[in-house]
Amino acid sequence: MHTFNRRRFLQAAGIASAAAALPRALGAATPARVVVVGGGFGGATVAKYLRLWGGGQVAVTLVEPNADHIACILSNLVLTGALSMDRISLGYNALKTNHGVAVIQARVTAINYGSGTGKGRVSLSNGRSLDYDHLVLSPGIDFIAPPDDPGAWDANVTPHAWQAGAQTLLLKKQLASMRDHDTFLMTVPKSPYRCPPGPYERACVVADYLKRKRLLFARVVVLDANAGIQAEPVAFGEAFNHIYKGMIEYIPDATVSSVISQTRSIITSAGSWSNVRVLNYIPNQRAAAIGPASSANRGWPLLNAQGFVPVDPLTYGVSGYPNIHVIGDACAVPATDGQAVPKSGHMANAEAKVCADAILRALNGQAPDTNIATSSACFSPITATTASWLSANFSYGNIYDAAGKVKGKGMQRVDLGEAPKISGDNYQDMFTWADGLFADSFI
Amino acid sequence: MSFKAIPLRLLLPFGLLLAATQGAHAAPPAGRLLAAQCAQCHGTSGNGPGFDEVAGKSASELRKDLLEMKRRPVEGIMDRQARGYTDAQIKLIADYLAAHTSGSTN
Repeated sequence: MHTFNRRRFLQAAGIASAAAALPRALGAATPARVVVVGGGFGGATVAKYLRLWGGGQVAVTLVEPNADHIACILSNLVLTGALSMDRISLGYNALKTNHGVAVIQARVTAINYGSGTGKGRVSLSNGRSLDYDHLVLSPGIDFIAPPDDPGAWDANVTPHAWQAGAQTLLLKKQLASMRDHDTFLMTVPKSPYRCPPGPYERACVVADYLKRKRLLFARVVVLDANAGIQAEPVAFGEAFNHIYKGMIEYIPDATVSSVISQTRSIITSAGSWSNVRVLNYIPNQRAAAIGPASSANRGWPLLNAQGFVPVDPLTYGVSGYPNIHVIGDACAVPATDGQAVPKSGHMANAEAKVCADAILRALNGQAPDTNIATSSACFSPITATTASWLSANFSYGNIYDAAGKVKGKGMQRVDLGEAPKISGDNYQDMFTWADGLFADSFI
Repeated sequence: MSFKAIPLRLLLPFGLLLAATQGAHAAPPAGRLLAAQCAQCHGTSGNGPGFDEVAGKSASELRKDLLEMKRRPVEGIMDRQARGYTDAQIKLIADYLAAHTSGSTN
């Protein structure tokens, strides 16, 4: 009997994939199994687009611990009471009915990466396990406790509301309890973090809320771990210095050392505050764990120094781990120094499409597309009736270090800009944009 | 020659024929992935939910609009987004959308 090596056959036939992927047998009747971990903007979009573009070639299973996804997008308006939570609650029925995605409500407990074969197994909290031909991990972020006295920080007492849902409701309740002379103290995490404009947007809507409630001498203190405003500096500069003059105190270069949630106190390099009425501590972030806390790299095959997973910009693949892809907030895309790809729902959706296309090409023994572009766009409320917007575009090509020298290939930022003015039209457009993104990702 | 005795190397071209007729899929259509970046705001099929419908427009109309937005001073967010693509990418996007989407009013 002649022994048949499928890989050598494909290579001899000149149609082996150039990518770090092992193509399935030609003429195979059974669909390729793709498991997607995480049902936020990245996971939902990749599941949908794999089925939209791949049809019966792929069987997609989405694993998500929550019954639905509560979007962070527009959640600052739920905080202030302008919107209901229903408005930002996104279910999975359409993915099932419209696209035939299997959805399992469970948490991933362990991943067996298959020792380089490209085929592995995901273990779930419901006792089941799923074998896969490709695995897409889109689990979002975890929060890093302050370095000193980490046990004194409790997000159930001083919420971050940087994952929407219960945290949003808790912070909303605390905001509603504010009275004259009270302080809402919030922190901006050290970059990179989820949603660069988000914290500044929150400062604005909170200040607007305090104003409209006519609370005397109530104020917002913003402690920024970074050296300056990380997104839309003109719009937020105008908001902090003019629109909310005297109400918002902005302090850059404030590194948090400890947070004592029970007394709503915080110690930072720029000063200490205690017993503030509302302490909205938004910690520094890293890729969410996908394995037990005790496991190496919390379940990840690799992590960079900031705690995110470096990926190939054409496939979102992980070096040395065939058929594993990471998209959304958890990944780190190679980019020019100082011009990082932002972490946002819109960008997760964009990356998901590149990933889906790369997986389908790999299944068919085709090389990844190199004519790649991704985009991020978002609208931020500044007052109860006006908003600004942010737009960023990236293109595959040379990326540069801080000295301007080519350091490799990645996603080069080819455009960045904010709205020329804060306006009511932008506020209306914000809802059009959000509804569009929600539908493209979940319906 | 009995069928069993045919060496594997002679079956290779037959294998390629199998590939072409049975399991293989053509590469994705040019422009599809680039145009997919429009869907976040214009809808998966180019006719919403979202901003202006891009489905059902001619390739030349779409291309003209994108190039105009790319060149004129920035006012709206599309003026910025259009700057994110090369003229060649804009042509691929316009051609793809015109060929693969149809307007909801059609």
